[in-house]
Amino acid sequence: MTPPQGNAERVERHLPPAHDAQSAKAISSRPGLGVRHSVGIPTLWVAPAALFLIGFFLLPLIQNGVRSFFPHGIDGGFDLANYAKLFTDPYYLGVLGQTLLLSLMVAAISAVIGYPIAWFMVRQAGRWQSLVIFMLIAPLLTSIIMRTFGWRVLLARFGIVNIVLHSIGLVTSPIDFLRWPGVAVTALIHVLVPFMVLAIAASLQSIDRRLEESARLLGAGPLATFIRITLPLTLDGVATGFILVFMLANGSFVTLLLLGGGWQTLPLLIFQQFSVTQDFSFASAMSMVLLIAAAACMFVQLRLIRRQGVRAT
Amino acid sequence: MRGSAAEQLAQAGLIAFTAGFFVFLMAPILIVVLVSFSSLGYIAFPIPSYTLKWFRRVWEYAPFLNGLWVSIKLAVSSTVLAAMLGVPAALALGRARSGWANVLATFLLAPLSMPMIVLGFALLFYLSALGFGLSFTALLIAHTVIGIPYLLRTVIGVYRSLPPDFEEAAAILGAGRWRTMLYVTLPLIRPGVFAGGLFAFLVSFDNLPISYFFGTPSTSTLPVVMLSYIQDQFDPSIAAVSTVQMLLALVVLLVVDRIYGLRQLGAPS
Repeated sequence: MTPPQGNAERVERHLPPAHDAQSAKAISSRPGLGVRHSVGIPTLWVAPAALFLIGFFLLPLIQNGVRSFFPHGIDGGFDLANYAKLFTDPYYLGVLGQTLLLSLMVAAISAVIGYPIAWFMVRQAGRWQSLVIFMLIAPLLTSIIMRTFGWRVLLARFGIVNIVLHSIGLVTSPIDFLRWPGVAVTALIHVLVPFMVLAIAASLQSIDRRLEESARLLGAGPLATFIRITLPLTLDGVATGFILVFMLANGSFVTLLLLGGGWQTLPLLIFQQFSVTQDFSFASAMSMVLLIAAAACMFVQLRLIRRQGVRAT
Repeated sequence: MRGSAAEQLAQAGLIAFTAGFFVFLMAPILIVVLVSFSSLGYIAFPIPSYTLKWFRRVWEYAPFLNGLWVSIKLAVSSTVLAAMLGVPAALALGRARSGWANVLATFLLAPLSMPMIVLGFALLFYLSALGFGLSFTALLIAHTVIGIPYLLRTVIGVYRSLPPDFEEAAAILGAGRWRTMLYVTLPLIRPGVFAGGLFAFLVSFDNLPISYFFGTPSTSTLPVVMLSYIQDQFDPSIAAVSTVQMLLALVVLLVVDRIYGLRQLGAPS
């Protein structure tokens, strides 16, 4: 699969400098090949950003990690009590489970909803494509408070949804939707599904249509073609979107704070520990769990992107 | 074979599903815009008549206005700072192929993947220990941390897609490193800087989970003020302030689009 690199480099060295943009691009975009820099940007230019993020991103997180191991202050000695509490107490185990369940539900439903939308956007929208993209991205311009407020207005006891349900005779007394756990799930899907659609659309766009045409020519029906050719080819896109949505749902806070519906998740608990209980060491331990989950997602995401990169070349 | 009845049905179903999806996506936003013009003092339907009084209330309610001002100052200054740090880093990493450059790029992009509430919580203690406490400077630092990855990602993307020929030509024609940078490289990467800056601005403008930790009467951003308002009251002024915020974001988007067409970037990335 990968070309013998030494060989490729030797070939490149013997090549005259590429004069047309196309071939230069082709060469420079191949991984592993040295790019001829006549105007190299000094590597040192990365230093200010790197130092800034070491100082104000890495160190704070490390300090947070240290704090989580010293539940009685830094003089109180090293202690795993916070983590023991988090992973053995049924209440906190329940919170961990709910956080996981909520994120998995949001990611799975977003994938099921997002796939047809991505399909429409890439395959059917035609000249409407830019409108579809605009409508997909436009909600990202509005504040998260505006969107949760919108759900509260729609689903309030005397909100639009109840009025409509009442007028068509489906309900006799207004339903108190805002106590339903499904509302938080819906609102999170609303916030995160555009990311899923964009991820799937990107992979749909990159597949070779000739593979599908061949399957059709060889007698496969549209459904069989989709299940056996298109879907497997876009699974990486689905996985990328799934992990992204899962990760964002895991850390989501504002939506759950305002539309909780009974969900108890880690971000909410961190918020409570900070503002009510003020057990900062325990809050740090919970932050570390969220952090490690996020780092794991990031790792999987990188693997996926790298795999897609290999396939694309 | 192409236009079989089943396929036409599937197509009609897909169109209906897509239409339903966009109703779902737009409904909670449009309803807030509608409510912001309601003449009622509480939220109810149908709306009897329309008025601008809630926008006047937003204008007269000092915390909203202060919050808006803090948010704008913060979004602009953190975006500029993130660009000053992120753009040179992106240029240094854009064409580097070594393993450590990859590791470094991953590190610089990592704030994107971290739950904001964790970052806000950790930074509050850290910056307090450094003596920044609850200040605008602390907010600026925190928002710059989340702004850098957006600039880095888009600028790297644009810079990688450029052939090195233009810079090489400039160098061959005798331009020094700085002249090449100023007259060749920077104009070429401008779309990346604008798009990344736009994202950084919008993300800062809407941020709540980080700003929340640094909230004091003089450093509360608009989302923080809105959060505390919404927890006590449920009247249309929160709809009005949301509408104003959305319009501001839209204006920023349109200005950036005017200066540099966003369409040229290709939306799904």
